Amino acid sequence: MNDVVFEIADLQVYYGDHKVLDRINAKIKQKCITAIMGPSGCGKSTLLRCLNRLNDLIPNFSMKGNISFEGQDIYKMKDLNEYRRKVTMVFQRPNVFPMSVFDNVAYGLKIGGIKKKEILKERVEIALKKAFLWDEVKDKLKKPAVQLSGGQQQRLCIARALAIEPEVILLDEPTSALDPIATTNIERLLETIAQQYTVVIVTHSMGQALRISDQVMFLYQGRLIEYGVTSEVVKAPNHEMTRQFLTGKIG
Amino acid sequence: MKWLFRIVAYTVFVALVIVIVTIISSGIGYLLKPGFFTQFPKSGMSEGGIFPSLVGSLLLIILVFLITIPVGLLGTIFISEFAPRRFSILLQSLVATMNSIPSIVYGLFGLSFFCVKLGFGTSLISASLTLSTMAIPFFMNSAVEFTRAVPRELREGVIALGANKIQSTLMVLKASKSGLLTAVILTLGRAFSETAPILVTGAVFYATKLPSRITDPVMTLPTSIYAIVMNLGEKAQWMAKGMASLMVLIMIAIYSVVQILRRNKDE
Repeated sequence: MNDVVFEIADLQVYYGDHKVLDRINAKIKQKCITAIMGPSGCGKSTLLRCLNRLNDLIPNFSMKGNISFEGQDIYKMKDLNEYRRKVTMVFQRPNVFPMSVFDNVAYGLKIGGIKKKEILKERVEIALKKAFLWDEVKDKLKKPAVQLSGGQQQRLCIARALAIEPEVILLDEPTSALDPIATTNIERLLETIAQQYTVVIVTHSMGQALRISDQVMFLYQGRLIEYGVTSEVVKAPNHEMTRQFLTGKIG
Repeated sequence: MKWLFRIVAYTVFVALVIVIVTIISSGIGYLLKPGFFTQFPKSGMSEGGIFPSLVGSLLLIILVFLITIPVGLLGTIFISEFAPRRFSILLQSLVATMNSIPSIVYGLFGLSFFCVKLGFGTSLISASLTLSTMAIPFFMNSAVEFTRAVPRELREGVIALGANKIQSTLMVLKASKSGLLTAVILTLGRAFSETAPILVTGAVFYATKLPSRITDPVMTLPTSIYAIVMNLGEKAQWMAKGMASLMVLIMIAIYSVVQILRRNKDE
């Protein structure tokens, strides 16, 4: 039980009257990479966004069921900002802030109340090193972050997330806007950080799920069709839909 | 078909150039006249300068800036960041409607409300409040477009790092900074060139001294042009021409700044 971070019980999600997720039950393990995959519109991003309650921002969102984080019901939590510092998120398109490389990484720290320059400097450097970006940007820390390449920007977003020392990093198709080389860089990076952090990644690409994930969820039309250790699911899927997705017949 | 578009485009461009060149060339010479900017008008505006109108317009713009920008910015933030979606759409169409009301109607509103009902009389403060009533929806109308254009992912990115609503709003403002600055400049340009609302609420055609309190009436550039053209003879027309060319030059300068800001934003 101790290695379970999220416990999702009977989760149902609606946008208005439209049901997006239907009775999802799953436990997500800590310090490994869990991939959520499935065809477009299957609800995988919605599921991910439930985990840090980002769906709360969508006007007609409603849900039933429970999600707990380390035993606590997250939909009963009061201090959401504190919670989102533990369970942070990286998005599909690199959303660097309109400020310098340094300030991007320091942003989360500053709003978390860290003001001392030496501490900020140190933490920013550590985060950039963890994201394998330090060597590329150490001379450009004061340059606007938008001047970096797409792949660098996405690693900057990951560095920004790592800087606040979260427990979980959620990633919503983080490589879908990137070229193959940048994608490979990010995948290597995720494998490394999964030693310290829990990583949950939504991916459209089956190949990516197979390459990097330890556990894989397969969603289809809002239902969790299959969930298990990636290598086992690939070898012997229990469900016909999963088999079809894996062989490229749907997706 | 292509030639038709080309002819229309050239016609518009040529017409614009003719208007601008005519106005500037007929008046620019007077701008160099000694004392044009520093003297009071004399002898029924046939001599002297435009000093009080210039100062009046400047004072008016400063007051409009101080009233319009804070109110307009808060309103913009409310519409784009805080209001529930439907209410926000309602407010935005309200702002758009207010923006299309003719300016003389604002003038009459200001006359009956600020001048008469609140008892401010024909004064600098009545004129600035009236002009602000008109400038606030003008500002919000364009400012909301800029804050709305900030991608949702940026807001979510800030929230995902544990930011509260105020911190995410500040990020939206930062991201739309150059757009908002554009809106500020365009608003001040509009307020500067607007005549009708101040004609009936704060302007006098002739004053022997500068306003010393905000309850004093003022002379301004556009209202002085109007006064000279409508009421005074041939001998005073040069002053209206000088002021008209000055206003066109200022507006060109304002729009050039806006263009530079837009270009910087695109890069």
